[in-house]
Amino acid sequence: MLRFLNSFWFNFKEYIILSALVIFSLFIISQNQSPAVQKVRAIAFGTFASVTSIVSDIFNIKGLKKENEQLRETNAKLMLQLSKLREAAIVNDELKEMLALKDSSGFPLISASVVSKSFSRVQGTITLNVGSSDSVKVGMPVITDKGLVGIIYSVSSNYSIARTLQNVDLKITVKDERTRENGLMKWNGEKLVIINVPKTYQIKKGDRIVTSELSSLVPFPIPVGVAAGSNNVETGIFNEIQVIPFVDFTKVENVFVLKTVASKEIDELELNFLKKFQ
Amino acid sequence: MKTSYLFSILLFIPVLIIQTTVVPLISIGQVIPDLILILLVYYSVTEGQIYGTVLGFVYGFAFDLVTGSLLGSTMIAKTVAGFVAGYFSSENKIDIYLMFFNFGMIVFLAALVDQIIFSFFSAFDISSNIFLIFFQNAFLPAFYTALLSMIIIIFAPKKRIL
Repeated sequence: MLRFLNSFWFNFKEYIILSALVIFSLFIISQNQSPAVQKVRAIAFGTFASVTSIVSDIFNIKGLKKENEQLRETNAKLMLQLSKLREAAIVNDELKEMLALKDSSGFPLISASVVSKSFSRVQGTITLNVGSSDSVKVGMPVITDKGLVGIIYSVSSNYSIARTLQNVDLKITVKDERTRENGLMKWNGEKLVIINVPKTYQIKKGDRIVTSELSSLVPFPIPVGVAAGSNNVETGIFNEIQVIPFVDFTKVENVFVLKTVASKEIDELELNFLKKFQ
Repeated sequence: MKTSYLFSILLFIPVLIIQTTVVPLISIGQVIPDLILILLVYYSVTEGQIYGTVLGFVYGFAFDLVTGSLLGSTMIAKTVAGFVAGYFSSENKIDIYLMFFNFGMIVFLAALVDQIIFSFFSAFDISSNIFLIFFQNAFLPAFYTALLSMIIIIFAPKKRIL
């Protein structure tokens, strides 16, 4: 028996090692959401990002950095205010008063630089040089002066990782600014699409797409991109709308983390409501 | 052998830094070459199949850990890529395999396997055109990586470095 095992190992050791490592990798894939793995990951990328930030800084023109940052902050604030104003013009003022909607005019922004990027076609992520010590939390939106970049996914004390819109795991509720129709937007590995859009919807090519108030990730409208027409599905009642993002993810260097997370109070209220009728 | 593993892992750190900071600057569209894979193929060819398989596993694990991609996806892809590249390791043919064009072809094959497996584990829509996705996600990056590897191999040592 021992001889057989010896000869088996001798003849097939490459395949045995490969199989063992592949099985272990599959096990690791299944453990992605466990808190222990998340903790190890936060420490690992925090350490690595502190090194890459030095290299990254070399490639940034230092003298213009601060001035650029201030201008971008002003731009980002203006973009958010403009977006808000567009909303205000569309929604009836009187109705707004009646519903006693709060008009929040201040948008706290945390300025950040991208220290490294992972641009696989399906799992786009960026590492930012701000972390929990700068009050960054998981779920905060990341923006530039052009629009939404992504959502914070993991945070260490000084660094954080954000999933960009070009990540199959990130799905966001968006709406057509003109028609006010909502839909779920995601990256399908090739392009950004709003999925399961009823064929009766009036979304047209060129319409501005912004995040929806219905989104549990981004609580108020931030520009995302423009509709680039529908991928007409012959059968069924739903269409797919292609969206061209405002932000060029390959060129993004300086961003802002919007210091806001979706209200837990609303989530809890809705959850209790659902439980009541179950 | 142990020193060799240590050296290849130490060499991985600067390559990973370059991969995440400098390499995006030479991307064409969204097609990015994979320096880590070039290093992995080099070691698989010079050190053998088992060495390449284990090294692919270690490289993939470290890459997944620091970049935020699905932990295990690069691990499995690089493990198999190292295994495939290891088929081209032969004591008396190392010089032939490390020649300009031959090395590029091995890198292309390993990169293609690496990218196909990675794409598979990064679950995208089944409704999308699978051939187009594999062309964009696997063929183009593999081709770019192979081209870059042909330039790099000119400067790489033709014998085992440790």
